[in-house]
Amino acid sequence: MNFLPEQHEAAELMPDADHRSSGRGLGGAILLAAMALPGLMPAAHAENAPESAEIGIRYLDYKDSSRMLDGSGTAGAYAFGNPGVQDRVKVHAPSVNFLLPFAGSWSLAGSLVSDSVSGSSPRYYNSAPTRYFSEHRTAGDWKFTRYFARSSYAVTFVHSDEHDYSSRALAGTATFASDDNNTTWTVGGGYSRDKITPSGGGSDPVTGNSFSLERKYGRDFMLGLTQVLTPTDIVQSNITYAQGRGYFSDPYKTFDYRPRERNQFAWLTRWNHFIEDGPGLVKGTTFKASYRYYQDTWGVKAHTLSGEWIKPLADGWTVTPLLRFSDQGSARFYLDPDPTQPGFPPNAFWTPTAGVYQSADARLSAFGAVTYGGRISKKLGDGWTADFRGELYEQRGSWRLVGQGSPGLDPFKARFLQVGLTKKF
Amino acid sequence: MGATAGTPGLLARHGFEAMASPCGIVVAGSPERVARSAIVAAEAEVRRIEQKFSRYRADTIVGRINAQAGGTPVACDAETLHLIGYADTLYRASEGLFDVTSGILRRAWDFRKAVLPTPQQLEPLLALVGWDQVERDGHRLRLPRAGMEVDFGGFGKEYAADRAAGVLIEKGIRHAIVNLGGDVRCVGTQPDGSPWQIGIQNPRDPNSNIASIPLSHGGIATSGDSERYFDLDGVRYCHILNPQTGMPVRYWRSVSIAAPLAIAAGSYSTIAMLMEERAKDWLDSSGLGYLLVGPDGAITKRDAPSA
Amino acid sequence: MKFIRLGSLLLALGAAAGCSSLTPVQPWEKGNLARPEMTFESNVLEEKFVEHIYGSKENASGGNGVGGGGCGCN
Repeated sequence: MNFLPEQHEAAELMPDADHRSSGRGLGGAILLAAMALPGLMPAAHAENAPESAEIGIRYLDYKDSSRMLDGSGTAGAYAFGNPGVQDRVKVHAPSVNFLLPFAGSWSLAGSLVSDSVSGSSPRYYNSAPTRYFSEHRTAGDWKFTRYFARSSYAVTFVHSDEHDYSSRALAGTATFASDDNNTTWTVGGGYSRDKITPSGGGSDPVTGNSFSLERKYGRDFMLGLTQVLTPTDIVQSNITYAQGRGYFSDPYKTFDYRPRERNQFAWLTRWNHFIEDGPGLVKGTTFKASYRYYQDTWGVKAHTLSGEWIKPLADGWTVTPLLRFSDQGSARFYLDPDPTQPGFPPNAFWTPTAGVYQSADARLSAFGAVTYGGRISKKLGDGWTADFRGELYEQRGSWRLVGQGSPGLDPFKARFLQVGLTKKF
Repeated sequence: MGATAGTPGLLARHGFEAMASPCGIVVAGSPERVARSAIVAAEAEVRRIEQKFSRYRADTIVGRINAQAGGTPVACDAETLHLIGYADTLYRASEGLFDVTSGILRRAWDFRKAVLPTPQQLEPLLALVGWDQVERDGHRLRLPRAGMEVDFGGFGKEYAADRAAGVLIEKGIRHAIVNLGGDVRCVGTQPDGSPWQIGIQNPRDPNSNIASIPLSHGGIATSGDSERYFDLDGVRYCHILNPQTGMPVRYWRSVSIAAPLAIAAGSYSTIAMLMEERAKDWLDSSGLGYLLVGPDGAITKRDAPSA
Repeated sequence: MKFIRLGSLLLALGAAAGCSSLTPVQPWEKGNLARPEMTFESNVLEEKFVEHIYGSKENASGGNGVGGGGCGCN
């Protein structure tokens, strides 16, 4: 035999001729030797860059309600003279969006939304005298990305403006993928500045001084990992940490006095699973699940679990039922309704003290919330897709699983519908 | 990871003749200009390989190796060395049946005339066949006896299909299919996610297909007894010759293999033809998907596990 | 302190991913992973709207990105 050192090296790559195939049946020595030949399976150039341009329009329709019970003095009844009035916020939000790849490894994506919000918002809890309002908000975001074979870098600018609140934020993100493209790390950081100018001015609950302008600043960071586990499973886990300083209180809520600082931590894990084989009903469908743990320095801890099942049908139709459950603990300074003082906010007869925070905002209470609904989409040919999404949401103190729900609050219900049309070029 | 579907409806096709076969490249889901430029580069790569490894020209690497048989060793470049290493793997994996020095046996067979060669014609040629005699020293190769020849035709087309696909991928193409005379390699699926459909020709009727195999990744290659052949007294004599006897193999009508690379698919299908009735067990242990047409025309099919 | 403990959980996940005992998935096996519904970016816009609603009706948010500003939604 005339085999020389180079040949032995190559031999180590190749098992014996009668080597059994791997669990995925890739074939033996011949296939391994073929894979060693250069240029047959190159890393795709800028593999994650989008292939085609896209534009779309979307319309969101939102309506919520939390009905007041008639006043009777029992826990949960804060009718303040208006039994049966329905509190309701309506939002109509048309938006446009686009994605434009260019020069092979760049893309610009953006969206613009115009919210029209109207209705009544409770001054405290969710069943008390309300503030009637009608507002308009314009917001947009713009993301500029540069793609390389195994990494990408992006800059995002976000803005939101309404007559009493305006926000600007800037963030940078980067992704780094392993050589086999099975593992991707994502890092990001952002900075935001908000300006709050309540109509009619706001007032400091402790000093009583009125103000016309307050500010809020935020910094946030993200670290994420996306991992391909099998040909049909991919998992992603992200941690975000945000630090906020400034004015967090709600100027329209009675005696709402919140800390000037809030740090938030969230850990989100998502899993997508494709069902390759099985009975006709599930074959070719995708199951997606996600869980998020949240915790902040206001004492709120929350768990959110959601799942959806994507079922493609004939003729370009796809139907996706979805379900979400969220369990939240109350903020440390959230005050339950006082059953001995029905109809009044619990702090009505207190003097707010510096550093003793309080809020009667139902958003900071402890509850369990369920969302159920679905999405239907249809490919219309020539790159057009239409989709419709409808969800029903309900939030109740008694639905809390992990701990005690906040008492004395009426169930909060909402429904949201979205309709969208996109075109890919 | 993270790729989105290309735009359905965009399609660029290009047919050409290379390696003595009809060839075609289809690129889908990319804008016309991008697709055309990638196709031009892919065809250029096919022609480069065809010319580099041609044994008809004295100035190619193969021409020089063959001209220097029995003489001085020839220095080979990196690509040639890789293919020589691959030829060696095929020789060992097939227990000597796949031998890139066996090409000279074609001199004893003229498939245009239905005449069997005599032992006197075959013996001197068989004496010049034997990959295990080839001398390799670093990057140099020497055929020890004058008259010996190496020929990469046994996997040249499939190698070119994989290299052409590699060129398309580097140009950013995500959905394409390269077909060089029936040896196929795809890039991605069709833009809407559905697999490409590859027709397998009936070995006894070139105008009809016996099967359509869905291909969503990798390649498919077919070896059969109806490429070059003659029939004599009810027996088919085809162009795939056993390097030890000099006689054509006489079992499968055709073998089609699906594998992650076209060159691997082609090598498995050729070796399966050479192994004759032992091939099925060998293919089963490889785990690859196959479609076999037996001596009586019976079809045996096996899907690869993650097809 | 809890933040640090949970943060190191993510790093542990990363380490596990790195020295995974699962066979790495090869490029030719990724056909199904490339389907739009199997990516994490397929319904970004819809989900952005929905997350905005949850952000104004619940107190928990985050986990999916950086650089969102605030709004006066209530």
